Amino acid sequence: MHPILLNRYNLTIYTLAWIFILTIQAGVLVLYFGLELKPALADSIVFNTIFFVMGLLIWYPLRYIPLSDRNSITVFLNFLALGILVVVVWMSSGFLIMRQLFRGDEALISSIVASVPYRIISGSLLYIMLLLVYYLAVYSRNLKERIQNESKAQTMIKEAELNMLRSQLNPHFLFNSLNSASALTLSNPGAAREMIVKLSEFLRYSLKLAEKEFNILKDEIENIIRYLDIEKVRFGNKMSFEIDFPDDCESYPVPNMILQPLFENALKHGVYESTGPIAIKMKCRRENDLLAVTITNNYDSESPPRPGTGIGMKNIRERLRLIYGREDLMLSRKDDGIFIVNLFIPYHEDKDVDS
Amino acid sequence: MKIKTLIVDDEELARSILREYLKSYPDMEVTGEFADGFSALKAIRELKPDLVFLDVQMPKLNGFEMLELLDDMPGIIFTTAYDQYALKAFEINAVDYLLKPFSEERFREAVEKVSGRLQSDSKAGFAGLKEHIEKTAGIISRVVVRTKGEIRVIPAPEIIFIEAQDDYVMIYTNSGKFLKQKTLKHFEEHLSRDDFIRVHRSYIIRTDQMIRLEPYGKNSWIAVLKGSYKVQVSRSGYTLLKDVLDI
Repeated sequence: MHPILLNRYNLTIYTLAWIFILTIQAGVLVLYFGLELKPALADSIVFNTIFFVMGLLIWYPLRYIPLSDRNSITVFLNFLALGILVVVVWMSSGFLIMRQLFRGDEALISSIVASVPYRIISGSLLYIMLLLVYYLAVYSRNLKERIQNESKAQTMIKEAELNMLRSQLNPHFLFNSLNSASALTLSNPGAAREMIVKLSEFLRYSLKLAEKEFNILKDEIENIIRYLDIEKVRFGNKMSFEIDFPDDCESYPVPNMILQPLFENALKHGVYESTGPIAIKMKCRRENDLLAVTITNNYDSESPPRPGTGIGMKNIRERLRLIYGREDLMLSRKDDGIFIVNLFIPYHEDKDVDS
Repeated sequence: MKIKTLIVDDEELARSILREYLKSYPDMEVTGEFADGFSALKAIRELKPDLVFLDVQMPKLNGFEMLELLDDMPGIIFTTAYDQYALKAFEINAVDYLLKPFSEERFREAVEKVSGRLQSDSKAGFAGLKEHIEKTAGIISRVVVRTKGEIRVIPAPEIIFIEAQDDYVMIYTNSGKFLKQKTLKHFEEHLSRDDFIRVHRSYIIRTDQMIRLEPYGKNSWIAVLKGSYKVQVSRSGYTLLKDVLDI
């Protein structure tokens, strides 16, 4: 949007500024150059009206000369070329109009010709002033936008955190696990104690998380194993898991709890919805400056979809986008009764990773 | 006579605790344990138990979907970890339910209440249960139907359209049409409004199954759906369609 034509207020200010310049110029022409009032007014009105219109028009080429361009010489040359064009067009069209208006008044015409150097200087100054006005407008608008974007990003981060917290305190998981522990107290008190300890460790890990954004992969995986162990107590032989990660991935920094929802999904859409055995597998490896993680699980393809599909995945994608600014870090597909998720985590240095 | 009891839960440990608690009730006999809705449905029809401990969350067919398909309701004690809709249905209907994990004392209360009701042969409490569950249910993502002794679960995305037929509806899908004893209003209320629109007094269509919309006389249109089905669209249906499809 044109900053001056944006609203009536800006256009009024712009017009008043030109009327002010016009008045000054007419005064100078009369008082210092001894012109009569009529030709002096005509001169001011003609030349300033032309600049008034051109001043509005130069916004359009200016938009294509971004100040952020690294090569400042290119920027300068662009400004210079536009400036020369503006001044030349302004003076020649003004001159032609004045010659039409005061045909035969040779003295006036020659005095206009004589004033060319002054006009070049004043035209250039006006041009520079317009440049400043435009870039100031653009700058303040960008600043406003940036502030808005930042607060939006903040809200999204908060939402992601909230979603994470909600999934950790998933009441189904929590109460069913406690129910299993309660059942185990009758048949196998040792296993019951172990279950309660694991559940406590899992919850404690989640609570600790709010403090930092990144964690090393090893810690994250240990927590996931706790989670899977708890679920395994509930589902027994119906579920199995296999986690495979080489030594060079152990201390790789990953956003905390980024993998957890993927395992929750494998449980939710695989184990909870199937009567047959479900195998969950995870593999990871270093790939240049990325960590590539693959998580797979089979599922009952005859089982109808469960509500809530895709919310967890959407949250992960959103978090990755906010942290790394990339949209292509997660892929998922279904292949012959197997659900496959590929996750790529870029290396992130200078993060408060505890080891 | 002993009270014939079934335990239905997809987790072995959850079943074991019920079994364990039931040991102190000599007049109650566990005649079977089942881990999913399908096998439980079959067993309830064949064994005709007096009392069923029923988990809500199960694979294939959940506890509510299973009840929907039963003609004779046995006494039911629901067991669930957490389900906001379910709790509402239970409370309205005064059916007993056990929130996992539950104490032996709470278990005794529930059993005494239900077995008392079984002996007095007033199953009034259960009669309205189906309705209440339907009313309080949230958005449904699948529909269960019975055809020639077979149970089918139709995922919502596979529905092309639903047609009202007196007290029934006919559900049209790629793999055939299925009769279901429900009103069109029920589906209008419980299918996702982003995907389903009631375009006519007698029709609900799934919007992504629509191929085109043709004018048909004054204030009337015809929606051409996948499978070359044609469905009438009324004035108000057309307005709704326009809103959702952004045309």
